Amino acid sequence: MTALSTPRKKSGFVAWINKESTAGYMFSLPFIFGFLMFMVIPMGLSLFYSFCKYDIQNPPVWIGLDNYIKIFTKDPTFVKALTVTCYYALIGTPLKVIFALIVALILNHESKAVPIYRATYYLPSIIGGSVAVAILWRRMFESTGTINALLGQIFPFLKGYNWFSEGPAIWVLIILTVWQFGSSMLIFLSALKQIPRELYEAAHVDGANGSQQFWRVTLPLLTPTIFFNLVQQTINSFLAFTQCKLITNGDPRKSTLFYTVYQYNKAFPAVGKSQMGYASALAWIMLIIISVVTALLFWSRSKWVYDD
Amino acid sequence: MKKFLALVLSLMMLCMAMPAMADGLAVGTFDPASAGNVELSFGWWGNQVRDEVTKNAADFFTQNYPNITFNLNAQSWSNYWALMSTYSANNDLPDVMQQDYAYIEQWVEAGDLLDLTPYVESGALDLSNVPQNIIDTGKVGDGIYAVCAGVNAPALLYNKTLTDSLSIEVPDNITWEQFVEISRKIYAETGVGVLYGDGNTENHLTYYARSLGYTALWDTNGMLASAEELTGYYQRLIDGVAEGWLFDTDKRAGVNVNDLAQNPLVYGSTNEVRTWCAFAFSNQIAAFQAAATADGKELGITSWASANPAASNYMKPSQFFSITTDTKNPDLAVAFLNYLINDVQANTILRAERGVPANSLVAAEIADEVSKLDATYTLVVDYLAKVEKCSSPIFPPLPSYSGTVQTEVIETLAGELLLKNPTMTAEEAAQTLVDSTAEIAADY
Repeated sequence: MTALSTPRKKSGFVAWINKESTAGYMFSLPFIFGFLMFMVIPMGLSLFYSFCKYDIQNPPVWIGLDNYIKIFTKDPTFVKALTVTCYYALIGTPLKVIFALIVALILNHESKAVPIYRATYYLPSIIGGSVAVAILWRRMFESTGTINALLGQIFPFLKGYNWFSEGPAIWVLIILTVWQFGSSMLIFLSALKQIPRELYEAAHVDGANGSQQFWRVTLPLLTPTIFFNLVQQTINSFLAFTQCKLITNGDPRKSTLFYTVYQYNKAFPAVGKSQMGYASALAWIMLIIISVVTALLFWSRSKWVYDD
Repeated sequence: MKKFLALVLSLMMLCMAMPAMADGLAVGTFDPASAGNVELSFGWWGNQVRDEVTKNAADFFTQNYPNITFNLNAQSWSNYWALMSTYSANNDLPDVMQQDYAYIEQWVEAGDLLDLTPYVESGALDLSNVPQNIIDTGKVGDGIYAVCAGVNAPALLYNKTLTDSLSIEVPDNITWEQFVEISRKIYAETGVGVLYGDGNTENHLTYYARSLGYTALWDTNGMLASAEELTGYYQRLIDGVAEGWLFDTDKRAGVNVNDLAQNPLVYGSTNEVRTWCAFAFSNQIAAFQAAATADGKELGITSWASANPAASNYMKPSQFFSITTDTKNPDLAVAFLNYLINDVQANTILRAERGVPANSLVAAEIADEVSKLDATYTLVVDYLAKVEKCSSPIFPPLPSYSGTVQTEVIETLAGELLLKNPTMTAEEAAQTLVDSTAEIAADY
């Protein structure tokens, strides 16, 4: 009996390991592990902390909804940061998508130089979120930086202009995000390639000129791509962090304080105790806001996106 | 460059002389050679000069005890505390960490710092040449939790090249009236301004409260001075901006004050974005002068402006070293700490960048050598001698809620008051400060 049972067990294991589902689980294990460790568990913890007073160094203390109540009833900075972030997202994202579309249209020609241009214009997107670019950007817009030196040649009154004062500071950040149009541009380019040639030929035969072709053929067929870019870039804008933290850090007077930076400053203040619980509550509110905005975009889809 | 060369040469000399005095390092009773191969971690906030000299001091230790290596963690002030709190949550603090007088108590309360009393009693940590009143500044309750690395005082560092060229004499123990007069004159003639009341503002408010006769700005319950009394501080901001010589909120946003090398005292190509002085601490003159030298400027030093300098000014034992409870090698960490405090060679390498050494014997022995390496050291020693005659005892360590008030109330109010058209009056600002502080204190 024992002599028989051993091979049977072994064959059981061999059978199990050879099963297709086992291989599937094995291959997806790295993802499942990462998803649990770096997404599900931290998110669960942050949900728990959002109902606690938690300063990292001492154990969390349950305080129920106090953090949320404080955020909504007596935190003017929350309102300010949310306003700034919405302004940035709602102005910056459409500008970026339009800019990407324009550049994609220009580069949608067959020429030997075009691949070089494509690569060049994509470059800012690769390095865009990095610390180095943020620091460089700050230097460029300083009162004696490159931007003022160039603009000063054309508009002498701009010499020594303070880009970091209250009005223009947010635009320094918006220009940076528009400059990083590369990934949207690539998506537009590939979408442009998929528009059937026959449609243009037919339009041509019908006597449509260039701009009519663009408005009646190109744009409607691009709407799904525009939609995709819009959703993706809007979410990115709401989550922007590095640029703000390093270029303005919310100054002056919180006029450039991004929501994520406000949250970070609560969790990791330069001096004083961490307010990790409060920051976690802020994070969950942001999650809800992003969900609502995305849902609104999807709801608007049927109104303007051309599907066949 | 010359100075750097001198430093390198003298370091080389020290290294060559080393074999002759292999057992010469002051490490107390524990022999680091017996510790086996250990990596000690050491964290501090600083500036370029400090980062360099501290690394050199650690390297010199390693040369003497090749079995001991270092994991050095140099941060800027603005990143240091947040990072250390995170390490603390993970029980992963460096063996030796730099501490600030203001925060020691909070860190002891959190249980992060090791009581050094047993090591002092056993002789492993020799504090016999450190004056008792300085040792006491590292005490919380009966325990010694931090050892002072150097003594400083608040110091107004100013562009002497500029004031000389305008034939302006900046007096010792400068009063606020004198300061305003000089600032107006410099602004009228050159357009160079002043950065005051923003960033590190808690220090300015404390200085102001002390000029009114209080020892400190706050206690565990809130502000000591009343709103009426603090109104004068905010009136200063409003007046300065109205007269033009004080940087307003927008101008302040255009300069980077977190990085010493980009401080408008030593950086900026037009007068509009520059200041004629910086409200700093005496030890910082070395790093500021290094940046100013590149800029072709010479710096001078006096005290922060106050209506009553003798009441406001103080000697600040600063830049403490603590051993954390996360250390796995407390004996070795104590030996290294002893080296940092008592070793003459170490302190020569450290160039008194953290302030005049607390060990009075060491301070006397390194004076000549360090003055040769760094011309500003003589200025600092002279300045501290003057402060000692015209100052009052320092305030107690800050209450634990102070950091939150600093980031959420003081900085916000400064931003509003420093506008060209302030959104509130000085009275309202002072009232908000007092009320919000009491609220945050009660909630902590």
